[in-house]
Amino acid sequence: MKEGFRQAMAWLHTWTGLIFGWLLFAIFLTGTLSYFKEEISHWAQPEIRSHQLDPVTSLGLAQQYLQSNAGNASSWFIRLPNEREAALSVNWRDPNAQGRRGFTSKALDAHSGEPVEARDSRGGEFFYRFHFQLEMPYPWGRWLSTLCAFIMLLGLVTGIITHKKIFKEFFTFRPGKGQRSWLDGHNAIGVLVLPFHLMISYSSLVLFMYMVMPAGILASYGDTGGYFNDLFGRDDPPAMTGVAAPMAPLPELYAKVQTLAPGARMGYIQIQNPGDSSARVTFTQAAGDHVAYRRSANWTFDGVSGELLRQGAPESAAMMTAFSFAGLHMGNFAGPWLRWLYFAFGIAGTAVIGTGLVMWLGKRQLKHAKSASLPGELRLVEVLNIASMSGLLLGVAAFFWANRLLPVGLQGRADWEVKAFFLAWAVSLVHAVLRPGRKAWGEQLALGALAFALLPLLNALTTGQGLDQSIAAGDWAMAGFDLTALGTGLFLGWVANKMLRAPKPVAKRAPRTAKASAEVVEVNGC
Amino acid sequence: MKSKAAGLPLSYRLAVTSRSLAALLGGYVLASMTSVCIALLAPMAQVDAALTGLLSSFVFYLLAFIWCFACRSAWRAWLGVLLPSLLLGMINGLAYWMKNP
Amino acid sequence: MLSIALIGFAGFAGLCLSMEKHFNELLKRKPSGAQVRALRIGGWLLLALSLVLAVQLRDWALGLVEWIAVLMAGVTLWVFGLPYQPRLLLGLAAASVLLGPLLAVIGV
Repeated sequence: MKEGFRQAMAWLHTWTGLIFGWLLFAIFLTGTLSYFKEEISHWAQPEIRSHQLDPVTSLGLAQQYLQSNAGNASSWFIRLPNEREAALSVNWRDPNAQGRRGFTSKALDAHSGEPVEARDSRGGEFFYRFHFQLEMPYPWGRWLSTLCAFIMLLGLVTGIITHKKIFKEFFTFRPGKGQRSWLDGHNAIGVLVLPFHLMISYSSLVLFMYMVMPAGILASYGDTGGYFNDLFGRDDPPAMTGVAAPMAPLPELYAKVQTLAPGARMGYIQIQNPGDSSARVTFTQAAGDHVAYRRSANWTFDGVSGELLRQGAPESAAMMTAFSFAGLHMGNFAGPWLRWLYFAFGIAGTAVIGTGLVMWLGKRQLKHAKSASLPGELRLVEVLNIASMSGLLLGVAAFFWANRLLPVGLQGRADWEVKAFFLAWAVSLVHAVLRPGRKAWGEQLALGALAFALLPLLNALTTGQGLDQSIAAGDWAMAGFDLTALGTGLFLGWVANKMLRAPKPVAKRAPRTAKASAEVVEVNGC
Repeated sequence: MKSKAAGLPLSYRLAVTSRSLAALLGGYVLASMTSVCIALLAPMAQVDAALTGLLSSFVFYLLAFIWCFACRSAWRAWLGVLLPSLLLGMINGLAYWMKNP
Repeated sequence: MLSIALIGFAGFAGLCLSMEKHFNELLKRKPSGAQVRALRIGGWLLLALSLVLAVQLRDWALGLVEWIAVLMAGVTLWVFGLPYQPRLLLGLAAASVLLGPLLAVIGV
């Protein structure tokens, strides 16, 4: 490229930003939602009630349930409830049962130990899985999302290189100046939240690096098995002896862990060969207790005698680096205020992408302001912009509306909620094709505003756990969801209002926009 | 880019495509080669060397990508990713052969 | 963490004002060389102080993470709020210089 390094990087930034921007917007938005996936799941399955946390009692109840209902299983898993997840989850591996790869899951009430019949819904887990699997068959979704993560990182780096005045304009934001304001805003939320953006993009690569960049592992180990064994230090379950033996009570083993690691919260407990004399129990500390994932934070006991057999091996520096990135990305350690900041920064990242897409089109639209319609390629970008942003929001809203409206007993209702998401998204695409740009934006955003703002009311009418009930009961996850939905609705309404009003007269702004676009051209070089 | 009207010359489009392929595919090869090199040659435990190779591979991918669009021609883009890949490939081959005689 | 957030906020405000363009816009007069230097040094000192306090309060891993988080939040609030409520934010920054250390001492 003859123009010079900065210009070349500006070109690269602009074009990779456009091509991957639509998908990246979806990844970022659903990823951001994922920071509250437990709360979303709580809203989506209101039948599961929160109780005061009591790990010892819960463990005992779980063991009882598993002993009565999964006595022949080869392994059991128990997830204890925590501040953000109300259910006591039990899973077991049984070759005769249905479910993914012979795995059965049940949610138990943490107080009574009885299974809860909650409506079938993927809840927050849908958005979480979508953001790295894109609802595509394994492993294609992961490859695509990881490629997008790399392009995001590239976009950040090329953006930094391109932003000549990154220090001079560090504190600069000038609203009310058309394209200049969009660029200021894009730059500002990019630069001011840069540590987060860089961390989130790079750490996404770290999370799937074993899959997308296997060469180093294969050259060194021959296959991934040895690598994972060295990394996570786990060994295979012991062979069953066929001799029945009573299991040690889990609360006793829990107490032992507490003496070894006072105050540690437990993430999950795995029991291998329950009821056999070769039984083993492994306690794994909750991911939220450390910033980095800790392979050393697990303890394995003999399931019959209760003797401590092994603790996880300590982490090397390289492992701490990789595990820190993973932990930072997941944010499991974040308490309430920090979690809200994660959410806010995620929205910021989404906005960086969104503003970029809007500017890409806006700048080129100026050249065609006089003509009646946009040339084909620009019209395509306009339609995709609308569908990928306001359309996606409509999809999200539709998921929640489906959750409340679909009959609780409907077969496969979890899949129908997902279908509603995609259906609404698809319809918004069609709408964007049929309507002129600004109107399409305005109409979709207005509908989105209504859809989100009315969610609390819909919730109250269909479950009786509306804001008045949830706040009174101190169920802040439920109330928080409703309030956030309301806030989102109000924000979308404000934006819709701006779009539906007549656009500002072009003539008056001509000198300004010419200068703005000249500046933008100088920066972007194309 | 300086080109304005809708009709961008074919040579331009081919050059961009070439650079893109060099970046995407060639860059991936280069990144993989660097991660193998580090995994085999870094003076640390096997798992740590592999990890370090993985973690740093993306930085090299990034640099390769930037090179492919910053350099003066599509040919240079390809040379810039393939030559180092070849060199690293030879080093890696030697290292691998020495580890597994 | 609130004290650290406020001190960091004040630090960024100081650095912003140490730039002639912003000083001019916000305080409606030209800054002297001494003022610019004082604001710049003061700004950096406040940021450094907030880091030290964060690590002391929450240890290295969590401390660094939370420090970066509250700083990003504060500076974003400053930059996007400034065109709309410059006096409110200036006041908040000034108050933070006093309130921040005070809250740090009482352990908030």
